Amino acid sequence: MKSLVIIVVSAGLAALIPFVGSEYALSFTVQLFVFVALAYSWNLIGGYAGYTHFGQVAFFGVGAYTGALLMNAGVHWLLAAAGAGVSGALLALPLGGAMLRVKGPFFAIGMFGMARVCESFALGFDGITQGGTGLYLTPVTDLKPLFFVLWAIAFGMVALTWKLDNSRLGIQLLAIREDETAADALGIRTTRLKIGTFVASAIAPAAVGSLYATYLSFIDPATAFAPMTELTTIAMVLLGGMGTTFGPLVGAVVMSVVNELLWSRFPEIYLALVGAVILAVVLFMPRGIVSFAMRRAWWWVPAARSSLRRLASRPTPSRSPKEAH
Amino acid sequence: MPVFELLIAGILLGGLYALMACGLNLVFGVMRIINFAHGDLLAVGALTTVSIVTGLHLPFFVAIVVVPLLTAALGLAMQVLVLRRLADGPMIMSLLATFALSTILVNLSILIWGGGYRGLPGVLGGSVHLLGQDVALSRLVAFLVAMAVTLLVWWFLQSTRFGRAIRSVSQAPELAVINGISIDAVRNVTFALGAAMAGLAGVLLAPTFASDPQLGARFGIKAFAVIIVGGMGSYPGAMAAALLLGVLEVFGGYWFGQVIGSAMLFLVMLVVLLVRPRGLLGMGVRA
Repeated sequence: MKSLVIIVVSAGLAALIPFVGSEYALSFTVQLFVFVALAYSWNLIGGYAGYTHFGQVAFFGVGAYTGALLMNAGVHWLLAAAGAGVSGALLALPLGGAMLRVKGPFFAIGMFGMARVCESFALGFDGITQGGTGLYLTPVTDLKPLFFVLWAIAFGMVALTWKLDNSRLGIQLLAIREDETAADALGIRTTRLKIGTFVASAIAPAAVGSLYATYLSFIDPATAFAPMTELTTIAMVLLGGMGTTFGPLVGAVVMSVVNELLWSRFPEIYLALVGAVILAVVLFMPRGIVSFAMRRAWWWVPAARSSLRRLASRPTPSRSPKEAH
Repeated sequence: MPVFELLIAGILLGGLYALMACGLNLVFGVMRIINFAHGDLLAVGALTTVSIVTGLHLPFFVAIVVVPLLTAALGLAMQVLVLRRLADGPMIMSLLATFALSTILVNLSILIWGGGYRGLPGVLGGSVHLLGQDVALSRLVAFLVAMAVTLLVWWFLQSTRFGRAIRSVSQAPELAVINGISIDAVRNVTFALGAAMAGLAGVLLAPTFASDPQLGARFGIKAFAVIIVGGMGSYPGAMAAALLLGVLEVFGGYWFGQVIGSAMLFLVMLVVLLVRPRGLLGMGVRA
């Protein structure tokens, strides 16, 4: 219940920004939503299923290019984003089937390499992608429609994660994270679940990639497949709390604000400072803000898996003596 | 098609990859850490070399001696200040940490050296006639030094007492501790050694390739492909895979162009991951 209130209130407050905030606030929030969607998608596969995914930016970039090419062919930006989401799923399905068979460092390097392959292809097939020059799109005049689409995706992902956190599916994913062999032995269809989660975690990044291209009205390989996007996303999830409902949201907001401050104060060494901030998070806050707050049990912090906890604490109907025999 | 010429070019390139990848593999072996910053140590090495030769007007061999020491110190600092605390934790932490360190190194390098490309004109210029081919002197020297050092380190691992300690920590850390080996000391030395090898690779490629702060992203990540193909934790595997991938990249570049040629390394890596995850000569590392 508490969780639902938090989701509705934060979504409502965020929706007010275009009406009360400045142009700057609007464009800051657009970028924040992009990262919220990325962070929640990463949380599905990295936080819940426990696969260290270092290639999410591949889907972001492929989505950005798919969307940009569709828009240049005359498709409306909203349809282009949907098309990009489909392209992400279509890429993730075979890739997940292949890559999820390897674990740990192998999966991490494999996906990292995959993102680099996609970047090389974007550079190499310059007949289609214009190579390093990049693709230019018609600039958007009004940011508001874009804002609300991203708002819907971002808070859609939050709501989805809240549902997942309170479901059998979520518990099954956590079981895979803790011990995949044991989960398999308990009858959880690990392969199917992992691939499904992987595909689900690829759709939003691809769609958001296309929307980001719309926002910039430009895309090139360095922007689409930036390792910095990957690093920031994962750091946001870590800072907020991996495998929690609100962790990615908290992490994304805190990290975006910190990054924005650093950017305005120290533009020359901004990226190095972001690296240092991430290092500090890894060293000093590895369990995340939300997990920290949960341990302290502050009243406004919702417990994880609240509905399931209520279910489990229900008094069990007493067994009849017959059944005992 | 000039098969023989391409083959030689590929082997010469592979020698540099061997030096780079063996360092990365050593670090992975004893620490179970994938060092994303390895390539950036290489970039720092290359750029420092340019500064030493064109800025300070010192001879090239000074860089061969000084730069590996410098990157070793840098690597040791990374290890002592950051990675030591994360080595036994979840893998995601150390991965993120080295990724962040890589970002810091790249951007500090941009601050120090600027974002542009820097070459070393006149160093090891000219070519030698070898096996009926004209081979650029800079490439030949780079190959010979890289292979010599790679083999020297292999000898060190196989035949010295400390080398045996490194291998035992790599293969069975618990047993190593029981036998009185100081894991911390082994890890520090190995990390410094790996960083020195990256730095030396940087020195050696500076005369041939244009160096810039992003060099690590372009060059260093090929070392990942090499250690996956050769087998994580396997030293001879990395050497063999480096030569193989060097040849493959040169042929791929000849057929499909430079960009797709480098992408081919990763495609080969992905295939190996799927077909034989422990690599050609891998020891079946426990993740």
